[in-house]
Amino acid sequence: MSNPNNPRSSSHQHTLKVGTFTCAWCGLTVSTFAADGTRRNHCPSCLHSQHVTDHVEGGTSECRARMTPIAIAVLRTGDWMVIHRCVRCDELTSNPVCTDDNQLILMRIAVRPLAQAPFPLEAFGTL
Amino acid sequence: MPRRKLPRERNRLRRPQRHKDVLHTQGGHRGNAFRCVGCRLEVSPDAPGTAHRNHCPTCLTSLHVDHRVPGDRASGCRGRMEALSLSVRQDGEWMIIHHCLSCGELSANRIAGDDNALALVRLAVRPLRDTTMASRTLLTL
Repeated sequence: MSNPNNPRSSSHQHTLKVGTFTCAWCGLTVSTFAADGTRRNHCPSCLHSQHVTDHVEGGTSECRARMTPIAIAVLRTGDWMVIHRCVRCDELTSNPVCTDDNQLILMRIAVRPLAQAPFPLEAFGTL
Repeated sequence: MPRRKLPRERNRLRRPQRHKDVLHTQGGHRGNAFRCVGCRLEVSPDAPGTAHRNHCPTCLTSLHVDHRVPGDRASGCRGRMEALSLSVRQDGEWMIIHHCLSCGELSANRIAGDDNALALVRLAVRPLRDTTMASRTLLTL
């Protein structure tokens, strides 16, 4: 990396992406980068994350508490985002889903509003 | 992995609403009616079912005025916040996740009793409307 004349080491694509973190909820050891090279910040098995970035003021956060997945948001491009909420300080973050995320949990979060509706949904069938 | 509570136990304890200790009079802002930035509807602050109305009941648009604590009116952004998605609390309450269009901040608020049901359901089915992602998810199950 330090030698710019070496074409092989100057490219970021060739740097070795290793590193793991332990999930704060299920304890799974997860590699920091997914198979397609994108950086992941939540556990692919239970989708829980950890509060390490302060999104209100920027920079790192000293909270470091667990963040639970609470909602699925859809971008204009059609991609899904997972919205996490910190269990300690209630901050919300949104992160793109990875391809190897647990699809069962993703689908459960996506359909949970319709499963627990506060008003009857039958009237919308006629619309 | 820690076990979750049974759903029956979960329903029994209803969470009380957050105590309203924020300074609606001290900060100098109006604690009363507001005009929606999305549809210009004049919205009164008393809503059925909640004491913390922060969005228009018709178009669900909100305004980014709170910083960290809900109701502190400490944010200088004042951007428009669009409803992004819905989440469900453990006790079955729906929460709207708002997303600030100017700074990207997220916030959550409970739905009120007079919120537009059609707008809420449109928001709820939004992850399932796009068939490519939803069917790919279902196929891998």
